[in-house]
Amino acid sequence: MNDFRIPTLKRKKKVAAVPATPEPVAEMTTVDVLIVGAGFAGLGTAIRLQQAGVKNIAILERGSEVGGTWRDNQYPGAACDIPSNLYSYSFAQNPEWSRGFSGSREILGYVHQLVQRFDLAPLVRFGQNVVSMDFDEASGRWSVRTDNGQTHRARSVVMAQGPLSNSSWPKISGLETYEGHKIHSARWDHSYDFTGKRVAVVGTGASAIQIVPELVKQAAHVKVFQRTPAWVMPRPDYASPEWSKKLFGRIPRAQTAFRELLYWVHESMAVGVVWTTPVTRLFERLAKLYLRSQVPDPWMRRQLTPEFRLGCKRILISNDWYAALQAPNCQLVTWPIANLAPKGIRTVEGIEHQFDCIVFATGFDVSKSGAPFPVTGLGGRKLDAEWSRGAQAYKSVSVSGYPNVFLTFGPNSGPGHNSALVYMEAQIDYIVQGVKKLLDENLKVLDVRAEVQKAYNAGIQKRLLRTNWNSGCRSWYLTEDGFNSTMYPGLATQYRAQMARFEANDYRTMRAA
Amino acid sequence: MQLDLTKMLAKIKDSQWALADIDWDAPGRELVTENAELYPKLKAFMADLMWIEHVGARGFAAMAKKAPTEELREIYRYFHAEEQKHANAEMALMKRWGMLDDADTLPEPNINIRLVVEWLDTYSDQMPLSVLGSVIPMLEITLDGALCKFLLDTVDDPVCHAAFEKINADEARHLGVDFHVLEMLGHGPLYRQGLEFVAKLLDPRLMIGIASYLPLLNKMRDNLVKLGLKEEKLYEAIRKYERVGGTPGGRRNPWFQLISRQGRWVIDRANWAYHVPVDALVKLTARIPASALPAVPTWVKQLTWKPAA
Repeated sequence: MNDFRIPTLKRKKKVAAVPATPEPVAEMTTVDVLIVGAGFAGLGTAIRLQQAGVKNIAILERGSEVGGTWRDNQYPGAACDIPSNLYSYSFAQNPEWSRGFSGSREILGYVHQLVQRFDLAPLVRFGQNVVSMDFDEASGRWSVRTDNGQTHRARSVVMAQGPLSNSSWPKISGLETYEGHKIHSARWDHSYDFTGKRVAVVGTGASAIQIVPELVKQAAHVKVFQRTPAWVMPRPDYASPEWSKKLFGRIPRAQTAFRELLYWVHESMAVGVVWTTPVTRLFERLAKLYLRSQVPDPWMRRQLTPEFRLGCKRILISNDWYAALQAPNCQLVTWPIANLAPKGIRTVEGIEHQFDCIVFATGFDVSKSGAPFPVTGLGGRKLDAEWSRGAQAYKSVSVSGYPNVFLTFGPNSGPGHNSALVYMEAQIDYIVQGVKKLLDENLKVLDVRAEVQKAYNAGIQKRLLRTNWNSGCRSWYLTEDGFNSTMYPGLATQYRAQMARFEANDYRTMRAA
Repeated sequence: MQLDLTKMLAKIKDSQWALADIDWDAPGRELVTENAELYPKLKAFMADLMWIEHVGARGFAAMAKKAPTEELREIYRYFHAEEQKHANAEMALMKRWGMLDDADTLPEPNINIRLVVEWLDTYSDQMPLSVLGSVIPMLEITLDGALCKFLLDTVDDPVCHAAFEKINADEARHLGVDFHVLEMLGHGPLYRQGLEFVAKLLDPRLMIGIASYLPLLNKMRDNLVKLGLKEEKLYEAIRKYERVGGTPGGRRNPWFQLISRQGRWVIDRANWAYHVPVDALVKLTARIPASALPAVPTWVKQLTWKPAA
């Protein structure tokens, strides 16, 4: 893989937003590839397409800035739980990561640098929120409509809107009756001053464990409302030494080697995280040992001990979560929430906990069933209806009946043990091969065969039955019916291998006249 | 007794109430505070009642970890919190009646309740659902249920009645689920139940639990007599356990058989073979100095009479 290195990122430099320069595409202008979303996946796809010689590209972005989930998740303490050297593109490595696990601002800065380095800004159309997509079989073109009334036409579409893009408010009775300040972790209100405030944090997932340690430093009192405790492991974080930055800057192969090391360390974790093995029990013991070393009170430890198998839900990584919960101004509340009242949260033990502000760290509305927006394919078929009981695709990228469309982070592409960007790169390179075939052979239709997709999914679902994700807990990986349409049941190496070659025989093609 | 647990969970969620729903300053406190004879006895009784809610609470907390389905697990999570709510409400009554020595100090229970709470906190998470699911209904029906009834028969304060109207409605749901689970626990081959029963009875942790549980009923009986109440009412509640739990499934559950048999021994004051050693245990445990007991678990400190925090 080519190693196109990006320029050095200045550590303390405030990253300027890429200017939002909406340049409306004239209606019915046809591009070769239309990418929905200017997050990591959309921008990465554009880079690789350009490198492959595909230049007629447009990126539709609903916001006014690039960055996707890293633009939206700017809450205090936001950081990635995968090492930065692995949570970045191999074709655009960054020697200047300030820490082993970088914060969201630095990651967003990296995304901005991608835009600058690869000159992507002219491709991005801001303020374009896609509301529907329709395929015209006669012309072999997709019509993509946005909520400002514009229609964009394209020979192929890459749906890179991302799974973690719509914030999810909890279904708590009386949510609207609360009169204090409400903040969602994915839409942080930076203007709100927490100093001296009584604050509630609802949720104890990946966002909450990063927010709470920051809030206890500022707020007068923080109460954390937990429904289900997660498995928590310490984060081996460190400030990057200057010598490593210099080394990685001068000898890119050294950074590639380090990245490979991190990759294989994470791959080896799959043995315990993805499947139940003696290593799973070992990890559980380590996590319990960590909890014991951090929390002396037996009752609190009991309340923080998960009751599901490690790996069934996302494993959380933190060094300051347990300490924050035991801060003098912090309290863990494990009573179920009865409802929200004008002044606070009423829990089932009959007490009204009153707050100035409630932070909802309740994650995202992940589309596991149904389409993110109406997509109409061949013969008027609706993706929403086809996915109503769980999304399915071929190799997570193509969906039969929806020709010339490619997905990033489509069904069953989620990793539980390795960097999402490793999977993303594999998808992008597969998509580039598909798009190249479409354009080079002047195809009107490139549609994965239904039987191929069916066989692929039968295999995936069979393999998923043996994974920890399907071991009985409720998680955002599963639909209400327990169908797993999010995770890939295997190693990243297996996933990369299946994505390495675009299998033309698996697709039905039709040439343009 | 078969319940639709999905409907029950929905009903539980729809029936939530908070301490703030009750006007704790409403008129009527003098009906208790100006009753010189009742007042001191009621103070000790209320402290015991509050702590008995803890027995149920800790039992439900342990059962939430054992429940075979997500629904039942969720129901037990709610019941655990509701028992805490009842204790909070009872503490609020004590506050209303001026029975709290210090606004933030918890009243002390009798030693036998304390021992049972201590055992539950130490071992209940390690006990199977068959044990907990059989004994908790007995404790709920005889102690929690019966004591509440005694209280309402004795105290005229309308605020007490308003609070217990809500508490009793919750308890009715608790008992409904308790007996549903008791029935469920009787399913399965008898030989397997018998083997598991014998094996568990030999578990020293359970033996300690039985040794703390047996004197509790006798102690509570003595306390009720001291309060001038008829012990027969306690016995009625004990009989109710056997009557309601004695479904075909319930009778197949060896733990139900053992507990209801022990209930019959409690009722029969002439049964000296049971009462002499158990009463001796009551006396013996009364001699345990408070300093010999470990510190109360931290979850006890979450109790509060304040409707808003």
